[in-house]
Amino acid sequence: MAALLELDNVSVHFAGLKALTGVSLQARPGEIKAVIGPNGAGKTTLFNVISGYVGATGGAITFQGQRIHGLTPHEIAAKGVRRTFQNGGLFGEMTALENVLTGLHSQIDSGFTGLLFGTRAARAAEREAVSRARRLLDLVGIGHVADQPAKDLSGGQQRMVEIVRTLAVDPPLLLLDEPAVGLAPPVRDRLMEIIRRLAGEEGVSILLIEHAIDLVMKASDVIVVLNAGQKIAEGRPEEIRRDRDVLEAYLGRG
Amino acid sequence: MVTDPSARSLPTRLAADTRLFYLLPVLALFVPLLTNPYTQFVVNLMLVYVLVAVGFNIVIGNLGQLAFANTAFFGIGAYATGLLMADAGLPFWAALIPGGAMGALAGFLASVTALRGIRLYYLAIVTLAFGELMRWIYVHADVITRGTDGLPVPMATVFGLALDSEVKKFYVFLAIATVVVKGTSNLLRSRVGRAIVAIKDNEFATASLGIPTARYIVLAFVWSGFVVGIAGGMFAVLIGRVVPDSFGLIELIFHFAMVMVGGFGSLAGSVLGAIVLTAVPEYFRSFPGLEEMFFGALLVLVLLFLPKGLASFFARYLPLFRQRFYRE
Repeated sequence: MAALLELDNVSVHFAGLKALTGVSLQARPGEIKAVIGPNGAGKTTLFNVISGYVGATGGAITFQGQRIHGLTPHEIAAKGVRRTFQNGGLFGEMTALENVLTGLHSQIDSGFTGLLFGTRAARAAEREAVSRARRLLDLVGIGHVADQPAKDLSGGQQRMVEIVRTLAVDPPLLLLDEPAVGLAPPVRDRLMEIIRRLAGEEGVSILLIEHAIDLVMKASDVIVVLNAGQKIAEGRPEEIRRDRDVLEAYLGRG
Repeated sequence: MVTDPSARSLPTRLAADTRLFYLLPVLALFVPLLTNPYTQFVVNLMLVYVLVAVGFNIVIGNLGQLAFANTAFFGIGAYATGLLMADAGLPFWAALIPGGAMGALAGFLASVTALRGIRLYYLAIVTLAFGELMRWIYVHADVITRGTDGLPVPMATVFGLALDSEVKKFYVFLAIATVVVKGTSNLLRSRVGRAIVAIKDNEFATASLGIPTARYIVLAFVWSGFVVGIAGGMFAVLIGRVVPDSFGLIELIFHFAMVMVGGFGSLAGSVLGAIVLTAVPEYFRSFPGLEEMFFGALLVLVLLFLPKGLASFFARYLPLFRQRFYRE
């Protein structure tokens, strides 16, 4: 299948720091690709450069055949590249429902005057978004906390809200930055099952940063290994497990 | 677990029904039965400050920016409306809308500083300076503004009806305040309000949802400036003379206190805070020296016991007072 996202020789060099050097990779619909590597390998920088939070100093990034490097984060997100953040990124003052509604922002197409005067059309669009948001929360089993402030939810529930918020618009590409960190094993398994289903049934392309190596081996179709800002390996989980360079760089010499 | 919306109990649904707020302006219609001209003036002043606090809260409460240009918006609205009535001979309503528009323009200027990365204390200082600069202009552009003597505002007329009594002003002000507060409520409980609060909580995450954050920062400032500009126009008509000293730092502290006492980010709180903080100093005005003491004591008490404002106290018992950012 044709690549949805393509990074060609992408570099991110800050003054005196080479965060990423010449990284090329592709993401395909329905594929879960894990990005692993030791701390400081450039995993989060990779996500930041794809989603426009840091600029590429070299190379090209294309999404659905269009060049996206140089666009602002909200423009890239509007094209269908959605991401989560390592340390949450939930809107704590809002309820779970309002968080998901914020994710649906671009699908509620009411203009300013319609919203200001509360026209029938604007209210209908809003109602539709609210019922869709409630359905989505029900779908992942947290519909009962929809009206609670996000900051009062448990860690697992917060993660689910963030995933639902990110997925609400059916983005073709999803970047998940350590979604399972800090979760209890049953919640983690449930999350992984949801991620697998997204890729398998909805054909979503998923890039996943994850530290738990057992999880990565089980959940991903392909693993990309970064070390010191460079891609040192890419392959199926069983290939990566046997790769000498990876063993040395990431799993330790042994 | 699937929850059926209709399964929620009747009291819960009633309590959450913000349509109950429509009762307030209806009840207010009867207020003139209880007042004399002086107390009616104070009630009219409350309506002005309701809009002052509602507008200010959008920027400092909902958007979470330390922007203190509120007295600038207020003064610009007052002078623009007053000048259009005095010098261009426009009727009140035709002068009020450009007054609000000038406030909105000032809001736009303030937003540009925030967009250029001037935030927190830096934004506070820049916007404070903006307010003081405007006051300097009111004093020194005396050819236009009449300087420290003040700008006399002619009697307001609305569709031929002269607002020659406090009661008449009251009904016109009540209509304006109701429309502007309702419009603000509509905006806050839509994707616009959610985008603004989301930016306060996490600007990066907001952009990651495809929301153009810069546009909503500008929008919040512009709407804030418009609402406070309208309040300025009403103030000009209520007082009858616009003087530069009405828009100084003490006035700004007063605006800030209303939002704080009411509750940052709460629309109902702004309304409440404006009413309480207009009434309390007026009540104690007859006891010289007590006015400031009670004002200070009230602030300290609220900060100590209700750091999230009076709205948080009511929200504990009445879900109606919980600020929601959607409508069903």
